[in-house]
Amino acid sequence: MSVDTTPTPVRSSWRMPNWLESILGQLIALGIAIIGGAILIILVGEDPILVFTTLLRGAFGNSERIAGSLLQATPIIIAGVAACIALRGGLFNIGVEGQLYMGGFAAAFVGFQFALPAGLHMLVALAAAVVAGGLWILIPAFFRARFGTNEVVSTILSNYVAILLTSYLTIDVFKRPGGWSETDPVATTAYLPQLFEFSRLNFGLFIGLALAVGFHLFLTRTSAGYGMNTMGANMKFAEYGGIAVKRNILIILLCSGAVGGLAGGVETLGVHHRFMEGFAPGFGFDGVIAALLANGSPIGVIFTALFFGALRAGSLLMEVETNASREVITVFQAIIILCVSAQILLRRRRDSSQGERRWKF
Amino acid sequence: MEVLETIFNVSLIAAMLRTTTPILLVALGGTFTTKAGIFNIGLEGQMLLGAFFAVLGSLWTQSAWGGVAIGVLAAMCVALTFSIFVVTLRANEVVVGLALNILAGGLTITLTKAIFGTRGSIVSGDIVGLPRLHIPVIEDLGSLGKALGSFTPLIYLAFILVFVVWVIIYRTKLGLYIRVAGEKPAAAEALGIPTGLMQHIASLLCGLFAGLAGAHLSLGYITMFAENMSSGRGFMAVAVLIFSAGDPVKVLFGCLLFGFADALSLRLQTFGLSSYLVLTVPYLVTLGALFLLTYRQRPKIFRETAESLQLIRRGKA
Repeated sequence: MSVDTTPTPVRSSWRMPNWLESILGQLIALGIAIIGGAILIILVGEDPILVFTTLLRGAFGNSERIAGSLLQATPIIIAGVAACIALRGGLFNIGVEGQLYMGGFAAAFVGFQFALPAGLHMLVALAAAVVAGGLWILIPAFFRARFGTNEVVSTILSNYVAILLTSYLTIDVFKRPGGWSETDPVATTAYLPQLFEFSRLNFGLFIGLALAVGFHLFLTRTSAGYGMNTMGANMKFAEYGGIAVKRNILIILLCSGAVGGLAGGVETLGVHHRFMEGFAPGFGFDGVIAALLANGSPIGVIFTALFFGALRAGSLLMEVETNASREVITVFQAIIILCVSAQILLRRRRDSSQGERRWKF
Repeated sequence: MEVLETIFNVSLIAAMLRTTTPILLVALGGTFTTKAGIFNIGLEGQMLLGAFFAVLGSLWTQSAWGGVAIGVLAAMCVALTFSIFVVTLRANEVVVGLALNILAGGLTITLTKAIFGTRGSIVSGDIVGLPRLHIPVIEDLGSLGKALGSFTPLIYLAFILVFVVWVIIYRTKLGLYIRVAGEKPAAAEALGIPTGLMQHIASLLCGLFAGLAGAHLSLGYITMFAENMSSGRGFMAVAVLIFSAGDPVKVLFGCLLFGFADALSLRLQTFGLSSYLVLTVPYLVTLGALFLLTYRQRPKIFRETAESLQLIRRGKA
């Protein structure tokens, strides 16, 4: 698999392993992003050192803040796994944001509408989130599988519909009297257990970690996972190799959407305990970026999602203490992704040996 | 029937043309990249940054056209970044497009806060908007004429540009080269056509149009900037481009459909329907059209045109 990346012929037999090369590339990207972010912060009239140290303090300052970073990372890990599932099958699911909203609402609905024993209630609510996420991607997935309709655009557009639809349900149908754009609270029987007294960090983190590890094992240890990898690497090749590509596209996208829905369910049952308009702004998109940055690796997503979670948590303090707005970090994320995407320059030769991976950087 | 009459009347047509304009402009830009073989998901970000810098430019230069120029320049900078990454560095077009969209969203909010100290929007009496034209010949044509004769200039320009883009793509050497670069890159290389350069040019032209679309949003449609004010129009344009395969005339009809859906949804809001549900209409119409119209095309977006085949034959002869 690994081919040396140096342009001149090298006699030594040592070749840089893929993962090391990938991490090295990401560190270079991070460096460039820090420089780019610093330039933006200077343009905005702030001191970059102050902004970055505030960011770090907000993310890791004390145990509460570290828990806050993990709390922010939780939905990003799950959404990231959702995006990974699609990526590894050679597909894009940019609609994680919408599935997250639908899943979040479905979980909240089950949470406040029904009375069930503790534990079971939570499981049913999470199942509702999974189903809602899967249903939300069903039509784009069907048309992608059957007719090849571009899933990038259809999933992006369905995000807008999901956000508006959940707003409608929250404000025009289920609004809590006197409340502020939110539904009734979820019954305590459906809460995801909290891990600490001092933070809203909850069991969802372990759900995310388990999903990532589980998907990694699926890819590396099962024959279905092998088939999926083949599909992701080269769909035509997989078809010639006898893999039922059309059926697999449908299954992969449905799974991806279902996990996206779960991310929303975990967020409502673990953190907010109700559905609120705009309850999880951008978590789905962050998940997609985290998956891209991790090059589709579910284990990698854990780290990129933790990184983005820390950035988010840090940016909250940054916005309070400095004049920089928290969206500085989205610029930062975008620069990282751009840098990583450009590193194909270093890796072009290896890519040609790997066949055509649609999303490959 | 009375209800229908109040919904469907002259002012609806006028509203439709107004709402069609931004999608049409950005989709016309996308025809160049589509024809050049680039899937350009970054239209949204180019348009948003264009809208933001058009407002800034209007404030700086105290002139609407100064604002349009600066908005267009900003969008073209994004477009150039896009093509450098996608064409020169061979990065994935979806990834780069998404990253630039995210960049545009974050940058406009950050700069809004830094320059104006506000979150979310820039509203100011000092922003010079585009003037309404008064075209006497059209205005004299009864009530419809009155509605159609007094638009802001970019609305007329958008519909004129459909024809201009058609001519560029199908009747000029540049258009031919762009199409060959998109459809048969290997053949283009063999004939000595610089495919990379053609794709850069297509992307820059795309940025020009996306910038105009953005400027129309923030200086023509209304005179303000709001965060994420392009609200998915760039993505709708991509949907149109997919099922029109980048043909300017089909693009026009696709965009009119969405303009109609957009205008209708605005109208329906006055009937007491939930504004949230009504706002989903343009997205649902786009999705419906995307699904219904692509089912025959299969993944093959590009069809070989007679001209490019001829060119290749001539090259071989």
